[in-house]
Amino acid sequence: MAIESLPTAVLFFAGAALLIMLPQGRLRAALLLAVPVLAAWQVWTLPFGDHVQVNFFGLDLELMRVDKLSRIFALIFSLAAFLGNLYAWHVRDTVQQVSALLYAGAAIGAVFAGDLITLFFYWEGTAIASVFLIWARRTEGAYHTGMRYLIVQISSGVILLAGAVLYYRETGSLAFEHMELGSPGTWLIFIAFGIKAAFPLLHNWLQDAYPAATVTGTVILSSFTTKLAIYSLARGFAGTEILIYIGAVMTLFPIFYAVIENDLRRVLAYSLNNQLGFMVVGIGIGTELALNGTAAHAVAHILYKSLLFMSVGAVLFRTGTAKGSELGGLYKTMPLTMIFCVVGAAAISAFPLFSGFVTKSLILSASAKEHYYIIWAILLFASAGVFHHSGIKIPYFAFFAHDSGKRPKEAPLHMLLAMGLTAFLSIFIGVYPEPLYALLPYEVSYDSYTATHVITQLQLLFFSALAFTVLMRTRIYPPELRSVNLDADWSYRRLLPNIIRAVANTVSKIWAANSAFWHRTISTVISRLYNSHGPEGRIAQVWPTGSMVLWIAILLGVTLIVNFLS
Amino acid sequence: MSEHRTEDDSDFSAIARLFLWVDDKKKVDRFVYGLYGACALLFGADFLYHKHTYVPVENIPGFYALYGFIMCALLVIAAKGLRIILKRPEDYYAPMDVETEDYPEDQMERLNHGD
Repeated sequence: MAIESLPTAVLFFAGAALLIMLPQGRLRAALLLAVPVLAAWQVWTLPFGDHVQVNFFGLDLELMRVDKLSRIFALIFSLAAFLGNLYAWHVRDTVQQVSALLYAGAAIGAVFAGDLITLFFYWEGTAIASVFLIWARRTEGAYHTGMRYLIVQISSGVILLAGAVLYYRETGSLAFEHMELGSPGTWLIFIAFGIKAAFPLLHNWLQDAYPAATVTGTVILSSFTTKLAIYSLARGFAGTEILIYIGAVMTLFPIFYAVIENDLRRVLAYSLNNQLGFMVVGIGIGTELALNGTAAHAVAHILYKSLLFMSVGAVLFRTGTAKGSELGGLYKTMPLTMIFCVVGAAAISAFPLFSGFVTKSLILSASAKEHYYIIWAILLFASAGVFHHSGIKIPYFAFFAHDSGKRPKEAPLHMLLAMGLTAFLSIFIGVYPEPLYALLPYEVSYDSYTATHVITQLQLLFFSALAFTVLMRTRIYPPELRSVNLDADWSYRRLLPNIIRAVANTVSKIWAANSAFWHRTISTVISRLYNSHGPEGRIAQVWPTGSMVLWIAILLGVTLIVNFLS
Repeated sequence: MSEHRTEDDSDFSAIARLFLWVDDKKKVDRFVYGLYGACALLFGADFLYHKHTYVPVENIPGFYALYGFIMCALLVIAAKGLRIILKRPEDYYAPMDVETEDYPEDQMERLNHGD
């Protein structure tokens, strides 16, 4: 069968099947790199159009819808899979290797899905494949965290399916196209996307699960699930105004948590949430400029977020901890990791010449051009906040700050290679954005490097740095403390179990009281009867044996008469 | 960690030695003064060129600088305040959480392969 007629996802699934047959070692690690390269090549050479149709129980499923929007996401997913697998070259755990391939394959399959049923299958596929990257840590805490993650993700899929069914009844179509929010079906689909996109109050699975995965697992997790949701929102709900406000809240509240969070991988998970907010705002505005901004920012974001997770992961790999309170002074022995981390930090902070600068500005410009001034001000604040907690805090507390006395080895060569490559791409996009712009869904006529934009951005960033410095030197800045912070997950990890426990306690107490009452009542009746009618009872004393014989004789007589008459 | 011994700067790689100044208080002070200077220059730049603006507030001289500084300061102070309500001990969710667990050593795969 020619490669053109194969869905790209199948390449990954076939790769996973082949992987199991290969012996553990370099050959396997090489296969893990080859599959994404092959997939990217296939996506790159496929012409636009619908390529693979399958009939499934009378439904016509559309497995390969290639257009500019799905292509750019499939390409960046392939690239992310390649970089993640290069970073994981040392891993000799079959579970993680297989799940990395299946997960990337399912995400790409979902991007190419032309109908809601195919989308649903791959949607659940990403959930099931990815949870093994958390369970692979093989501790009790990771098991429970993975369970919570799986329940949320599977629920999202079930809601999507329910929405798809209702949508089919409303419109008679299952095609995954632009939808108008309003009917129950579209609302359910919207919420399903919203769970995966980590909308406010639906977000906490992200900060809960990502820091619990393995060193390499977190890098892979960070790329796919949420960006698949961004793609789905862009495909289905572009121009839906409510998304602007949801997105603005998303950019805002995670930065507060990121400032006080101790686990640096969780800080990154919060800032991931905040970056998704920018993309969601772009989708909500829905103009060509804004949607270009969302797609471009997703690409840049996958790269620099992977890079940041890789560098903190390398620290975890070498020191056994990723907590700000335990780290510091690592630049002495991990200088390359530090430099790559700073590149990632500069890219997420949107420094000129780094990738965030040429992509985030599309969204900010779109919000200003469409006169959403409050939103624009929120996004600007969020940009400054990102620099504050991801740009400064992560490198500062991991590699500088107070010397922790830890002197770990530099990250292994393959990790340095993966980080170096990702760092190079983050700078390349920033310096020379035209190739990225050419891949975007719409024509781009946008120049990031105007004097106004460069100077204003530098002002914003330098004065944010100034604020950090001043607060640090006046010791107002909150120190890193060993702690956890309550977030929305408290509602289902503490509040709900407590309510259930209270209800269960009350019900069981009522039940116990109730049965005790009846037990007592019946026992009393029995003992009274026993007292009065039992062998020692009052009534038994006045019952002569003769009366018993008489009664039996009467009974036998009645039986005889009944028998005789009938 | 290994037992203490006196460290020599030459223990570190050439790249790392480029950053050793961060442990020298005087040099850090110099760096901070440099930052102050850069901020002053950037603020002054606002008076020297024609700004292309979309939003009215952008025309305020030094808007981005002031906004960045004030909002970041507020962010940190607000977040610090939130700690009073949100902070819990690390074992709050234990054992259903990885927060108190050591990272499993066997998952580090610190074997010799591929290193």
